Amino acid sequence: MTRIRGFEIERGQAVRAVVIAGLFALALFAVPELIGIYWVKILTAAAIYSVVALGLGLLYGRVGMVSLCQVALLAVGAWTATRLLYGTELPFPIVLLIAGVVTGVIGIVVGLPALRVSGLHLALITLMFAGAITLVLSVIHFPNGGGGFLGQVSLGELQGGFRIIRRPGIATSDPAYYRYTLIVVALMFLLALWQIASKPGRAWAAIRESEPAALAAGVNITQYKLWAFALASFMTGVAGGLLAGNAGALSPVAFPTQDSIVLLAVVLMGGIYSLWGAVVAGLLVRLLPALLENWGVSIYVSLLLFGIGVLQVLATAPGGLADQVPKDLKRLGRLLSHGFGRRADAEGPAA
Amino acid sequence: MLPTLHDVLQFVPLGLAVGAVYGVSGVGIVVLYRTTGVLNFAYGAIGALGVFIAFDLINKTSWCPDWLAYLATVLVGGAIMLAYGLVFGPVFAARDPLVKAAATLGLMLILLAAMSWTWPANEVRAVPLPSDNWHNYGYQIGDIRVSWTKIIALLFALGVTAGTTVFLRYTKLGTAYRAVANDREITATLGVPVRFVEASAWLVSGFVCGASGLLLSGLINSLEAATLTFLVISSLAAALIGRLQSLWVTLFAALVIGVVESCLQAFSLWPTESQPLAQYRAMTPFVIAIVALLVLGRRRELTLSRAAH
Repeated sequence: MTRIRGFEIERGQAVRAVVIAGLFALALFAVPELIGIYWVKILTAAAIYSVVALGLGLLYGRVGMVSLCQVALLAVGAWTATRLLYGTELPFPIVLLIAGVVTGVIGIVVGLPALRVSGLHLALITLMFAGAITLVLSVIHFPNGGGGFLGQVSLGELQGGFRIIRRPGIATSDPAYYRYTLIVVALMFLLALWQIASKPGRAWAAIRESEPAALAAGVNITQYKLWAFALASFMTGVAGGLLAGNAGALSPVAFPTQDSIVLLAVVLMGGIYSLWGAVVAGLLVRLLPALLENWGVSIYVSLLLFGIGVLQVLATAPGGLADQVPKDLKRLGRLLSHGFGRRADAEGPAA
Repeated sequence: MLPTLHDVLQFVPLGLAVGAVYGVSGVGIVVLYRTTGVLNFAYGAIGALGVFIAFDLINKTSWCPDWLAYLATVLVGGAIMLAYGLVFGPVFAARDPLVKAAATLGLMLILLAAMSWTWPANEVRAVPLPSDNWHNYGYQIGDIRVSWTKIIALLFALGVTAGTTVFLRYTKLGTAYRAVANDREITATLGVPVRFVEASAWLVSGFVCGASGLLLSGLINSLEAATLTFLVISSLAAALIGRLQSLWVTLFAALVIGVVESCLQAFSLWPTESQPLAQYRAMTPFVIAIVALLVLGRRRELTLSRAAH
């Protein structure tokens, strides 16, 4: 019996894995063939932002710590990657790794206050860090191909005009870069999944439920809180590196402090407790405004929708869209089958 | 080239006035947080909406006297906060403070979208206050001119903070505020009309919000929706230094932030001409908040994220 039940669970998981792999293959191979270059670039950005959302979801949904500086950390990753891509001939994956590690270290520094404070205080402190990081970047600017630590060169000295941030040799075209990004993003999701399913995930769950209980159970709170910050920041840094390649050129204007706040709203809307929520959030924050613009609707409508969405989600559906939509669909299906079933019943006795 | 003391002092009155506005907003945020457990991220957006409505009333209508437009700013602040408090206060009453704060993000985004749509940044808007011109554009102290608007801002902040302190300590309603802040459920069983207490906190906090928006519009000369909305971050920095608890520490921190931020303008050629200190001045709230918290917050404590406030 147990074996059969075990087999059934295995089969359910296998079916889910096959469906996800199928969807991924579809997104990887079919989607760039079907849509134009403009939308490929938008989808690349959406995939990148889903990793940022994943980091925030990991911190808030798994450990119960809110960070309001994720977009600022994304900018740090993008800055590091830009500097390395201009200044060195290092292969692209190595650059992504270094960007991730540098951002991870800064993330640990940002996360240090989390050892003392939690909840709202932590959210506000990270917001202060976000403001500080964004301002430093807006003063030192993004590297544009010069030398020195900051990589700055005045526009007059920039011979041969404006230099575009290089992409990996195997993915110079936009569709190829989209596929490259998607694979890296998938690796980041697998990394998160692996960590959640193993020892750190269990420690995070214990910390989220109750810190005293976790402490009593022998969980090293300091270590696992900082690890969560390091991991989320590492993924965000890698995403920043991908963003540098996608954009071709970057400016601090692309990373305003308020975006970190908006990101929290969107991640809550997508679903804070599931990995799918991060995918939904990435699509919401990058694809939705582009779609609205395409349809000739004011881009502020997306902000309006995020505002209404976050209120609705918090008030009635804490699991977010990723949790609510399948539930609603199931309910709709049950309602339909129930309706048909009753009609059949009603017809039965009459006949 | 290091600026002279005189150069720096020139920026003090403006710094005190702006700091006072941050401070009075911070006090409004702290009082609301202590009563309802809601940290209001929408504070800046609500104040901004009032100011934009006043701008339209003054410049786009012929029937509206100026004083009515100024009054409208305050009333709009109170009305929006009260409406939000009545509708969403009970919904989120039993939830974690983080959820309550995130919900106000929703209000902030809705207001920001509405304002960016209605008042796009394509024209320069300003709401000058009549107090700018009183007493021949203010008083002369040395060769620094201090307008009445700045004096009013400082007095208003001190008055609100002192008034709130006295109110919370010595009046019956004030005691009810503190009781609700301590434990909402027990206070309700004791027969205190909790909903009424909370609604009054929302309303008064809204009035303060509208008034501080109005004062700020007299101190800065161009109104832009996103900038005003996110000025709340400076007030939050001050409130954070006050540990979301102390009104006077919040006000004092805000004044320090305002003065330092303003005075850094004098450092426009120091340490170097190309990288002067002045360009970092917008970092002031963040740096002061982080340093203050790291120095003041030495207590290490266990945290219970599920604990209801």
